[in-house]
Amino acid sequence: MATVLTELSDSLASTVAKAGPSIVRVDARRGPPATGIAWSADGVIVTAHHVVERDDEIEIGLDSGRTAPATLVGRDPSTDMAVLRADVKGLAVPAWTEPTAMSVGHIVLALGRPGKSVRATFGIVSALGDSWVTPAGGRLDRFLQTDVVMYPGFSGGPLVDVSGRVAGMNTSGILRGMSLAIPHGTIATTVETLLAHGRVRRGYLGVGAQPVRLTATLAKQAGQETGLMVVSVQPSSSAEKAGLLQGDVIIGLGGEPMRHVDGLLTYLSGAEVGKKVTAKLVRGGKVQEVPVTIGERE
Amino acid sequence: MPSAIEELNSTMSSLAARVGQSVVQVGDGSGGGAGSIWHSGGLVVTNAHVARRKSLRVTLADGRLMRARLLARDTFHDVAALGIDMSGLPAIELGDSRRLQPGQWVFALGHPHGVRHALTGGVVIGTGPNWDEGPLAGREWLMLDLHLRPGNSGGPVFDVQGRMIGISTAIDGPESGLAVPVHTVKAFLREALQSEKVA
Repeated sequence: MATVLTELSDSLASTVAKAGPSIVRVDARRGPPATGIAWSADGVIVTAHHVVERDDEIEIGLDSGRTAPATLVGRDPSTDMAVLRADVKGLAVPAWTEPTAMSVGHIVLALGRPGKSVRATFGIVSALGDSWVTPAGGRLDRFLQTDVVMYPGFSGGPLVDVSGRVAGMNTSGILRGMSLAIPHGTIATTVETLLAHGRVRRGYLGVGAQPVRLTATLAKQAGQETGLMVVSVQPSSSAEKAGLLQGDVIIGLGGEPMRHVDGLLTYLSGAEVGKKVTAKLVRGGKVQEVPVTIGERE
Repeated sequence: MPSAIEELNSTMSSLAARVGQSVVQVGDGSGGGAGSIWHSGGLVVTNAHVARRKSLRVTLADGRLMRARLLARDTFHDVAALGIDMSGLPAIELGDSRRLQPGQWVFALGHPHGVRHALTGGVVIGTGPNWDEGPLAGREWLMLDLHLRPGNSGGPVFDVQGRMIGISTAIDGPESGLAVPVHTVKAFLREALQSEKVA
């Protein structure tokens, strides 16, 4: 008798079987191995930065049981991503889907290959949101949180929907104790950048800042209620070179209003390093414009 | 017409009620766990770490309290067989633990922290003998996305059709449980009950 429960269980298992061949074991740390996803048939693999503890002697394990050496193409600690290249041909590449196709409450599976075989856990989509800046200053083009349990070695593995399509790469390395998935869009951009340059360049200003309320007159003039008061300026940073001072209140950068610290981080993580932009600030009660060159985050 | 999720809910609760008939409490006076009625003639299986004494007490699903004697015990595989003087008991249906796939849905019934016949559900994470780490090594396990707690030990893990596929045995983390596969239990019983006859 095929109940709805039997059907559900069988389809979960067949989802795992479908996605399984594109999931690889990544052996790049002293602890238990972790997981990676085949990005291209010619050997590009995406995984989590925090599970790639060494830059050399990396090995991947395939569905067939075969192992192959891999090299590190590059890593982006701010989004917890690393890209590897293995000397293999004909890797099975999964079908991807965008988080926009998901809703809170949808059933998802987290897959991993910390050992020889594929392992799976199960949960639902807990939260979805727009673009989000990680504590390390990386930008994810979508926020995707699930309640799947991340066992040791599951980081770097795929979050799959009930059709076996990959919605993102799971990691417990961005926020401790929370299962976040890096969405397809961010992965695609990062892989492209790492393959081209070996690293991801992120904008940096060199200020410590906190939000402050503007006076009524300034608020009216600027068209915003808050700005960012500079509380520290890092020596030799682009902020210092531009002459920014403690006590300045940044209200705009590159034409974007700056109201909160998150806004500044989001702007910088997407900003082009070396680009000259205009900082709009309040100094001595007057609005001024100062040219600033975007620096690179170390 | 009920929605898929309503149908799922009623299927799961009737499954729990059906399998629950075959689930017992096993106590030795100082602690306790769960067990499953393997044979209607009074054979109960549980964990070796639940059945530490020769004389034990078993509470059936309908509340009847019975004396049980320890028939055989294997501490390496953590399995034990108990006998109670009853017939016509509701035996649990047996499944195939060798055919389990990661992602398949499974359930466990037990008495966590003394809560009788509590159900937990999740999926198969992985199966087999290939566990590198410490105490797991050298044995076959079912690794399950189940919230097992003290008092679940010895109780059945079963599939979506209510067929027993393992015995809840250990907690591998707050959200992960380990079970002895039912084929290990079968092998144990074959050997143990044979030698009992010989003895």
